[in-house]
Amino acid sequence: MEVFRNITRRKLRSSLTILGIVIGVLALTTMGSMAENFNALLDGGVKYFGSSIQVGPPDGQLAPLIPISKINDIKQVPGVEAAFAGYGFLAKPGQVSIINFGPPDEVIATDPAENSWGNLRLSVALGHYLTSTPGEVVLGSSIDQEFNKKIGDTIDLPVRPADAKPDFVNHTYTVVGILDKTRTAPDGFAYINLLDGQTLLKDSLPVAIRDSVDVSQITQNIDVYGKPGTSLSDLDKLADLINQQVGGVKATRPSVFVNGFKQGGALFTAITEAAALLALVIGGLSVVNTMFMSVAERVREIGLKKAVGATTMNVMSEFLIEATVIGVIGGVIGWGLGALITIAGNAATPPGQPTLFLLDVNITVLAIGFATVLGAVAGILPAWRAARLDPVAALRNE
Amino acid sequence: MAGVELDELTRYYKRGNEVIRALDGVTVTIKPGEFVAVVGRSGSGKTTMLDLIGLLLRPTGGKLVIDGVDTGKLSDSERAHMRAITVGFVFQEYNLLPTLNVVENVMMPLRYVRGHKDGSTRAHDLLDKVGLSDRLKHRPSELSGGQQQRVAIARSMINRPSIILLDEPTGAVDTETADQLVGLLKQINREDGVTIVVVSHDLDLAAQAGRRIRLKDGKVIADEAGVVSGASV
Repeated sequence: MEVFRNITRRKLRSSLTILGIVIGVLALTTMGSMAENFNALLDGGVKYFGSSIQVGPPDGQLAPLIPISKINDIKQVPGVEAAFAGYGFLAKPGQVSIINFGPPDEVIATDPAENSWGNLRLSVALGHYLTSTPGEVVLGSSIDQEFNKKIGDTIDLPVRPADAKPDFVNHTYTVVGILDKTRTAPDGFAYINLLDGQTLLKDSLPVAIRDSVDVSQITQNIDVYGKPGTSLSDLDKLADLINQQVGGVKATRPSVFVNGFKQGGALFTAITEAAALLALVIGGLSVVNTMFMSVAERVREIGLKKAVGATTMNVMSEFLIEATVIGVIGGVIGWGLGALITIAGNAATPPGQPTLFLLDVNITVLAIGFATVLGAVAGILPAWRAARLDPVAALRNE
Repeated sequence: MAGVELDELTRYYKRGNEVIRALDGVTVTIKPGEFVAVVGRSGSGKTTMLDLIGLLLRPTGGKLVIDGVDTGKLSDSERAHMRAITVGFVFQEYNLLPTLNVVENVMMPLRYVRGHKDGSTRAHDLLDKVGLSDRLKHRPSELSGGQQQRVAIARSMINRPSIILLDEPTGAVDTETADQLVGLLKQINREDGVTIVVVSHDLDLAAQAGRRIRLKDGKVIADEAGVVSGASV
């Protein structure tokens, strides 16, 4: 109780000091939540691209198409356990998005069996996952939220733009499943069958060649998997092996994607958290200043405490506790305000758009923990000065 | 009960190149239960002697024994412990903590002593003894100077010390209140057998002490018992 009484002894000064910490922790909470959200998004990419090899057309080929027969060639490469064709199309073609915190919404045509490979496994919240039946769609959580679909509803994909030309083609699919939220790319994806993907591919081809191309014999990309648990470096070697043994395709080393995601995440985290930590350190300096003022005002009190038996450590710990409590109060208030902002910010996000913040235990512990440690550290020097005061001089201080 | 032995106790200060002999080879023995007034002009060494006995200062030379313990051999933490349990302090300016109420101020020294029991009961008893049982929840700012000094006296006794050291305890109160405080100190000395060492310019207070030690330039120039009246201190 005495700690709180000492803090409230100078209400305005203590309030301003706590406000400094609050601003710092608020910044750390909101910006850290933003970084955490971004990292969750990138983590999905790391999981997906870190456990598969992306095979596409070779460099220099203009059309992003490869013969589907290459799947069999790739499966002959030692170490390859599975290979799947895949197609991807913009779910909302013609949509202009200047600022988008995440990948664009896509219609993904995939083999249902692929979901049992790789590290990014999709789970279904409602209905069931894709089957071999054409005309079905499984929606990611945010795209489902945007179009407000239930199991059994239908949805036209790709979504017709408001200014679509008369020859724009899309198809109607029945929603058979809605995925659990992943906080990464699949939230904005609509998964359809490979056959339906080939139909969309045909629709996307120029009219002049549309009827002369057998879309059942081509694919946009091939996802290749090694044995479950294959390391990243071994997958890199496998990609090199595919490039050596299979002509007309290019396998990209998974580490290229993974390192790109990690570098992007690290940079974003560093920028956001450095800005927040800077704010917090400034708040910490205000604690130092306040505690020095407090020591200067309470010199006689310190002398008295030493006279009645307080040791150097007793005095030091009392001031340290006071500084720490200032940090904790600022941390809890700052975190609380930050949490309100992140909740309000996410609630204000339009349906179907990725949310901006992910406030999790890591950020909570970091924000409040850092404020607490900052308060304690900021209190060390003033507390040391208090503890080292000569009691005789302190008692007779005017 | 404690006895205090000062044997050729010295305390020098350096002020630039000059050496100030605040206490210069003082040899005094204070018996348990004595009521001693230390008198002298400003700068005579009274307060330095009090600070040395209270273990707030380390002597430059000589020996100080309290309760048979050679204090020169004690570490800082041992000295702090001895200050907590053996010595009680009362200051001219009371030095009560403004954020604590009366009971909390009295109990404050207990936080530096392990294993104390019934601190609250003891504090209430002491406040009753000093006549402040109706002011328990008051803050220091709500008390008169005399009442604050009574709280300080109660606080000095909370750990049942064998010595209470008082530095000009009546210096900031009026004559009537000073008389009441002196009466209280005599009562404590008589009833509890506590050794009292008081530094004061107050002639009336010094006159009521059982023994007066007069200092000049850091040396004892007189050590007398009995009633002194009209003495120039």
